[in-house]
Amino acid sequence: MTTMEAPALTSHPRQSLAPGTLAIIVRVGLIIGIGLMMASVSPGFVSADNFLNILRQASLLFLVASGLTLVIIGGGLDLSIGANLTLCACLAAAAIKSIGQPAAGIAVALGCGAVVGLANGVLINRVKIPAFLATFGMLWVAQGIAYWFMAGQVIYGFSPAFRFFGSGFWFGVPVPIWVMLVTGACGLIFLSRTTFGREVYIMGANEAAAVLSGIPVARHRVFLYVMSGLMAGLSALIYVARLNAAEPGIGEPLLLPAIAAVLVGGTSLSGGSGGLFGTLLGAIILTLIVNALNLLNVSASWHPFVTGTIVLLAMLADAVVNRGMRK
Amino acid sequence: MTNRSVRNIWILSAAMGLTFYGLAASPALAAGEIIAAFTKNQVDPHFEDVRAGVEQMAKKMNATVRQYVPTKPNNITEGMSQLEDVGVTKPSLVLFMPIDPKAQLPTIKRLIDAKTPVLNYNDRAGDAPYLAFVGEDDYKLGYDIAKTLFDHLGGKGKIVILEGIKGSNTGDERKRGFDAALKEYPNIKLLASQPANFQRLLGLQVMENLIQQFNDIDGVIAAADASALGAAEALKSAGRGNVPVVSINGVPEAVEAVKTGSLLAIAEFNGFKIGCVATEIGLKAIRGEPVPKQVVIPAAIITKSNHAEWLVPYPERTCPAAASYIGQ
Repeated sequence: MTTMEAPALTSHPRQSLAPGTLAIIVRVGLIIGIGLMMASVSPGFVSADNFLNILRQASLLFLVASGLTLVIIGGGLDLSIGANLTLCACLAAAAIKSIGQPAAGIAVALGCGAVVGLANGVLINRVKIPAFLATFGMLWVAQGIAYWFMAGQVIYGFSPAFRFFGSGFWFGVPVPIWVMLVTGACGLIFLSRTTFGREVYIMGANEAAAVLSGIPVARHRVFLYVMSGLMAGLSALIYVARLNAAEPGIGEPLLLPAIAAVLVGGTSLSGGSGGLFGTLLGAIILTLIVNALNLLNVSASWHPFVTGTIVLLAMLADAVVNRGMRK
Repeated sequence: MTNRSVRNIWILSAAMGLTFYGLAASPALAAGEIIAAFTKNQVDPHFEDVRAGVEQMAKKMNATVRQYVPTKPNNITEGMSQLEDVGVTKPSLVLFMPIDPKAQLPTIKRLIDAKTPVLNYNDRAGDAPYLAFVGEDDYKLGYDIAKTLFDHLGGKGKIVILEGIKGSNTGDERKRGFDAALKEYPNIKLLASQPANFQRLLGLQVMENLIQQFNDIDGVIAAADASALGAAEALKSAGRGNVPVVSINGVPEAVEAVKTGSLLAIAEFNGFKIGCVATEIGLKAIRGEPVPKQVVIPAAIITKSNHAEWLVPYPERTCPAAASYIGQ
């Protein structure tokens, strides 16, 4: 079973390939297609440097989207990730500046992310506020605190030791890519090799059945929101280290691309299917499109249109392939 | 409804009531006029500088300031709502900078028709009977900083431009200035011109992509400090930290980058001075004193040799007198 597959929920008697595997094939095909097209028209595209460049940019998007993927698979939604990232970035930057130790910033960022995630989980599971509304409210609360805390200013200039997380290289590969690989691998193992991970798929696909079968849905869901918050906190650290600055607008533009990466990766917004490998491919596709448009010097006015069209074509290819498999 | 639910509703209502009471009671109103000051966002330090200038001059002239800033950066819908709110509260003076001049002009005209005095500052907001315009010349800023880079390159080389937000008055005028300077230097070749929306992350990522495409970038022009700092970061990471980058604004972080050599030069777009002068001119106008219809604050080019003046923290700066800029 692949991680893109909801266990025993989406199989079809006449299918030889699981829908998850098909989705992966479609996306890998899209990446290869764009790659071949670019290789023929842009000499700068095919180089180790550019591939690392694409992966480094995709890694930042993947880290933000990975926590969201877990939440969505479990049947939830987290609209507060961008604002959570902003708040964690600002608080962590202030902690590093005042204490002078990167460790302080790491602790503050992860702590802040976990607290915001826990608050989301409690609002949704204990207070019974719908996930959309709870996390939408939390978006404003986190962003508001960040605005108040920063008062329109930017915190900048960090030590090389801290900047290593965003700008450094390890064995010739940018550190954010290593962080993406490690967190992605942990997430893949969690979803596909643990009972808890499989229960996440079940509760996302059919919450009532999950409750009846004894799965502690409420506790699991709180855990997923805490994980989403932790990933926002980790992303905040990488962003601050990469940009050498924390500003109160850092996370706001990341929400929609993160949701897009999850959905383009094949995770269903209704929960119960999808996976982190798909989100990784989604992040690569979105980054690759922008990279290609920049290399071709296409006017930025066309970027949203081209991105949207390619995303829709990917979804259309999914639908066509799935229909073909059912015949 | 259970007793517990009723109790929770009471607690929630009391908390909300206390919050609003606290918010309403917090600003102690000074005597004198009430100024409604509009800025575009809470994320760009330039607008914080504008707000600091407005606050300092208002305090000096015994007026009270209400700041209007969209919660979502540069959000036109919120900007329109806030303008409409001001139409109801009727302050003594409105200091207005447009998010979208065309969309907001009819509302502004209605405000002025309803006898609310409006001064346009920072960005030009279209043709309406404003008290005055106070700001800088974005076209000239773009032209001057581009020439600074081209002269530094000896009039020969390959450059890239990181534009602002396409369609915004500020971004478009600065770009027009860059293009005008380019026409005067036939041996300067433009490799690419891409928007970075005045943002640091976009400046970084667009520059990372352009570095992959072009091996021989000799210089970079950015429409704002934030995208210039992102671009400088990308160049440094790629081992091309010696490529000169110029920008427009002059926020402290960017001035420090000039000091350390990460940026070559900045065309000063001084929000603090704009805020100070706009407030002084606006208050004088509503107090019946004669004021000029336009004050264009001249811009300096900030370089390594003269940067110290721009590193003074804003609380320690003093508002300049509007008279020193009148007639320039």
